[in-house]
Amino acid sequence: MKYWRETIAVAQRILLELGRRRRSLIFWGIFPITILLLNGFILAERANLSTAEAFTNAAPVTLVGAALFFSCLGGSVATVVAEREQHTLKRLFLSPLSGLSYFLGIFVAHACIGIGQGILVYLVATLFGAQIEQYWLLGLLIILMSIAAYVGLGFILGTQLARRTEDVNALVAAFGVPLLILGGTFLPASLFPESLLNIAKFNPIYHMNQALLGIWAQEESLSQVQSHLLFLMIFSLVMVGGGWLSYQGMLVRERRL
Amino acid sequence: MLKLDGVCKSYGSREVLRNLTLTAYPREVYGLLGPNGAGKTTTINLICNLLERDRGRIEFNQQPISAATKSLIGIAPQQNLLYQSLSCQENLNFYAQLYGLNKQHRKEQIAWCLDAVQLRDRARSIVANLSGGMQRRLNIAVALVHNPELVILDEPTTGLDIETRYEIWSLINKLRETGITIILTTHLLDEAEKLCQRLGLLKSGQIIAEGTLETLKKSIPAEEIVMIKTQEKEKAIQRGQELGLTPRRYGNDLAFWLPQAQDLKTIMDKFTGIPLDSLSRESIRLEHIYLEMMQQSSI
Repeated sequence: MKYWRETIAVAQRILLELGRRRRSLIFWGIFPITILLLNGFILAERANLSTAEAFTNAAPVTLVGAALFFSCLGGSVATVVAEREQHTLKRLFLSPLSGLSYFLGIFVAHACIGIGQGILVYLVATLFGAQIEQYWLLGLLIILMSIAAYVGLGFILGTQLARRTEDVNALVAAFGVPLLILGGTFLPASLFPESLLNIAKFNPIYHMNQALLGIWAQEESLSQVQSHLLFLMIFSLVMVGGGWLSYQGMLVRERRL
Repeated sequence: MLKLDGVCKSYGSREVLRNLTLTAYPREVYGLLGPNGAGKTTTINLICNLLERDRGRIEFNQQPISAATKSLIGIAPQQNLLYQSLSCQENLNFYAQLYGLNKQHRKEQIAWCLDAVQLRDRARSIVANLSGGMQRRLNIAVALVHNPELVILDEPTTGLDIETRYEIWSLINKLRETGITIILTTHLLDEAEKLCQRLGLLKSGQIIAEGTLETLKKSIPAEEIVMIKTQEKEKAIQRGQELGLTPRRYGNDLAFWLPQAQDLKTIMDKFTGIPLDSLSRESIRLEHIYLEMMQQSSI
């Protein structure tokens, strides 16, 4: 009960703060829609697909590769950094808030944002005739695992590398943009040369994209996406573990008035 | 009752607190005074269980300080630790939730806190839009929202205008009357003199004097102090010493401790022949005691 109450309190607070910064919310809406439209129309034109097929293929990668990346990774880094900059982290240490609840609160808040973006992306994609082919729940699980991985990574980056708010954009761009391109977010991985594809297999975003694309757009069976799911699962666990250790490290450094 | 007994704390080889012992009682404002680096913040960190002590005991209401006592303690740190994009009410609500207050209790406590710090009419105002004084008051309100039994106010009026300072003094007095224990750190000695029932003077990690203002006054061998401004300080010091008066330097002023109160004419006669810019007689205040204890300086 204590953990639940604290988790909800942290999540509510983050969402309230976000609600106050309406511009960020609007940008987080504009960004995935723009990427979806670009991806959809380019695919339709260059891959000779119908608009509906193109948008069915464009929606999963736009969601986990692009939208969640910036909102959940960038958002969680920004949350941790802002908390440190405002020194409110110190006040949290004075309260009975547990570290687990804090982590879960950030996860829940970003999961809400991610799900909101998911609804938005699929609403727009549906307007162009896109469909979710199968495995609704597994798809949701992939989205949640991706959010957990992004939030965990956000904790690592936010506690270890970003000292100020200005660092967030540079950090997300430096790590993110190459990974997004290599993950098949803007360009289908099927078009990658063999050598690049071999490198892409070490990129978690590639596995997120391929897992969701496989089950929601390409009617692949579970065994066909199994390797991607396994990679994603391990990556999420490692990131959550890494995020937790980083948080503990931050506790030691910041836990003083 | 807060009790620190023989508390020691070092950062590496640097000893910050040495055998620190103090007791603060309910319905009391205990003033913890000392220069920067004396160990005040470390003491607060230890009381709040943010740091591990090396030795000694810290108890509140006979319970050892631990994670479990967190909800008994409220702290208003020097900096205003507030969420700038949330309103006053939302900030209070968030912390009240963390302390486990149920919805009804939260509502009552938030209303009480906003009333106590006179921010009721600004409940929905965004913190970033509040003045410095209002943010300071909200910072104190956050410390009170979970109804703590021990409140630590770390320099609560630093940087505030005089009106806001009076408002905060009045709030502290009201809080004390509710029966809670208050630890106040401040560099403003008039503030400590007005608010604190007992005072602890901290120097190099040790309490060098403790007690009520009256007790502390008794430890000073003087009833009054004479402040002199003169260009010929050395001459004045020499004259004072010949008359058995203890001289002190307070910045540019020269002070002499008088064992017994004397009328102004008698005092002025003592310095005949020395050109004085000004001469005033003051009763002993905390400021003098503090300087005496801290500097232990003689000319």
